[in-house]
Amino acid sequence: MASHGVPRVAETAPRTEAQRLEEERQIREYRDLEDLIATKIAERQYTIEVLELTSKLLKKNPEYYTIWNVRRRLLIYGLFSKPSGLSSHSTASPNTSTTDTTKASSGISSSSTTTSSEASTTSPQNPASPNHGKNGTTLDLIKAELEFLFPIMMKYPKCYWLWNYRIWLLQEANERLEPEIARQLWNRELILVGKMLVKDSRNFHGWGYRRKVVSEVESQKLGGHSIVESEFEYTTKMIHGDKGLSNFSAWHRRSKLIPRLLDERKASDEARRQFLDDEFELIISAMYTDSYPYQQSAWFYYQFLMTTLTDYVGHGTIIPHFTLEDRAEYVSRQLVILRDMLDGAEDCKWIYNALIEYTMALCRMEERVPESDEKQECETWLAELRKLDPDRSGRWDDLERALRNP
Amino acid sequence: MSLVSGPGRAGGNALPEELQLAIEPHVKYIQSLDTRKDELEYWLTEHLRLNGLYWGLNALHLLNRPDALHRKETIDFVLSCQADNGGFGAAPGHDAHLLYTASAVQILAMVDGFGELEKRGKAGGAMAVGKYIAALQNRKTGTFAGDEWGEEDTRFICCAFVGLSLLKLLQFVDVEKAVDYIISCANFDGGYGVAPGAESHSGQIFACCAALTIARRLDTVEKDKLGMWLSERQVEGGGLNGRPEKLEDVCYSWWVSSSLSMIGRLHWIDGGKLSRFILNCQDTEHGGLADRPGDMVDVFHTNFGLAGLALLEFDGLEEVDAAYCMPKKVIERVLGPGYYNDS
Ligand SMILES: [Zn+2]
Repeated sequence: MASHGVPRVAETAPRTEAQRLEEERQIREYRDLEDLIATKIAERQYTIEVLELTSKLLKKNPEYYTIWNVRRRLLIYGLFSKPSGLSSHSTASPNTSTTDTTKASSGISSSSTTTSSEASTTSPQNPASPNHGKNGTTLDLIKAELEFLFPIMMKYPKCYWLWNYRIWLLQEANERLEPEIARQLWNRELILVGKMLVKDSRNFHGWGYRRKVVSEVESQKLGGHSIVESEFEYTTKMIHGDKGLSNFSAWHRRSKLIPRLLDERKASDEARRQFLDDEFELIISAMYTDSYPYQQSAWFYYQFLMTTLTDYVGHGTIIPHFTLEDRAEYVSRQLVILRDMLDGAEDCKWIYNALIEYTMALCRMEERVPESDEKQECETWLAELRKLDPDRSGRWDDLERALRNP
Repeated sequence: MSLVSGPGRAGGNALPEELQLAIEPHVKYIQSLDTRKDELEYWLTEHLRLNGLYWGLNALHLLNRPDALHRKETIDFVLSCQADNGGFGAAPGHDAHLLYTASAVQILAMVDGFGELEKRGKAGGAMAVGKYIAALQNRKTGTFAGDEWGEEDTRFICCAFVGLSLLKLLQFVDVEKAVDYIISCANFDGGYGVAPGAESHSGQIFACCAALTIARRLDTVEKDKLGMWLSERQVEGGGLNGRPEKLEDVCYSWWVSSSLSMIGRLHWIDGGKLSRFILNCQDTEHGGLADRPGDMVDVFHTNFGLAGLALLEFDGLEEVDAAYCMPKKVIERVLGPGYYNDS
């Protein structure tokens, strides 16, 4: 109903009678399956068999959010609470979802199979252990669910309900399992989301999921510790990867990690200054490479760095103890670099835009009106912007007005 | 009473020089959507049915054809989607969720059906719906979950505010706290993400701007920064993308341009070029709009494409409200004739 990038190459020819009958059969099969699940749920049959039925339906239609909710209820009102020795898991027939999906899983974690079979084999010997019930059966179920989801997520990486369901499962693990075991599950997710982001380095579900996973891996209640250094490294790796410089998602993530990274490093003022210099160096050398002065992702990251100088907010920035003079000096230095950059890139609108913006910002910082030569230069740059980027002429009109009345 | 995607192809090369809005084919396309029950696709998209009805009905309203769907059938279907907890699901028997609850309220507002909600809805009428929505607010942070399972997303603040304000029940929730939460989602580029720390995304920006418009707190937006980021969504061909370095798409012609409009910067993009891009995405023969020229049409892109054109004051379309994505006429009828004067 909201299709993206699906070309329709030819007129739809009328269906043949055979095709019509086939589609009718598929509809009947699908709706029968829906009805069967509804009946079983109305009878409160919270069993592995019904879980299997929902698997079948969700493979046909992963967007069917109500069925994901049915699955949640099956787990929390039925399957999770089964005592370990009598777990529906070990009494179920060999083709339960666990066996199925473990085989089918493309092996994001080869260790999971071993762990879960260990748990199953030890469980009968230890039927009375309450701890085992807590970590054993429930852990097996959660792992099986995660494995079941993986191939569907690879196929439908933009389906909200899948990501939600996955997060929900892991939150259940937090509630129901030992913190150490729950944290191991979250750690594996970090590997999984890394794979998803290799497949599509801009998937915002993936980046959002990564954020959540990291905060769980780091959480004290699971006995975790900060991984801000390795996360920062990860963004460096992404930026240097294929098409990485235009990966705004990675630049964005980097911008969010930096304040915490420096805090945790207990970075001195000198170290912070050096850090800022290095980041400017990184982005500017990136702009000199290939066609990057024309790519907006790099310019937005440049905006982030400049914002730390121009829109001073105190804490939570790279250089909290920079004086006004320090900041003004840095902005002036950047204005020189930007002018140099124009050489050979006279048709790059981003440079003119930055020159005007930061010239005006410098005046605001120094609480003065622009000098007449600054004003004149801004007008020249603005004329270039109008020429290079006529689509945004309304923006340039407003900018001109702002230049006249600073 | 339900709408799904159906066959049809957006024109590519075969378009006439003078791009026309294919009003009649669009009306027929939307009317035909409920007659496809013999197609598997119809059943596979049931989870979007109530959204689909809102998209189709809104498109018809913008096309000046508000009566093209049967009013009583529309109301009957909406009410059949209400769950016992007062919220609405995508279709009868589907679980309640804020996404569908907002659509239900929007549809009822369009067909002047709040009276029927009182009479035939779950006990409590509008109050029951308001209570369902209010219970989803996270009282600690101010944001909203989409349903009882707890997923939080700035889109749901928008859904909650749209639904509650149309029912005149905004006082049921802590608006100030929700506004503070939105502010905490703002990024250095002026945009907003799903949650604090998340990358700016046009869909979320629309949701946050719409919520702030309804709360009358657009003063909190860094309008020049956001306007700059949004205006850079326009690509060479006139269409708009959702994030830097992504492909243009008709649905973003709505998320981006409505956000620009809400912050008073719609003139920062080339409206003429955008109109032409949207018109190029029409299937002028069979009706409907697609995400890009030459792609398969669907009712989602049909609605947001037409809404984009309406926002650009395209001739022959009703005026559209940027925050509610509904005809201004309807908003004035529901919220009072003075609504656009006080804002
Ligand atoms: Zn789209």
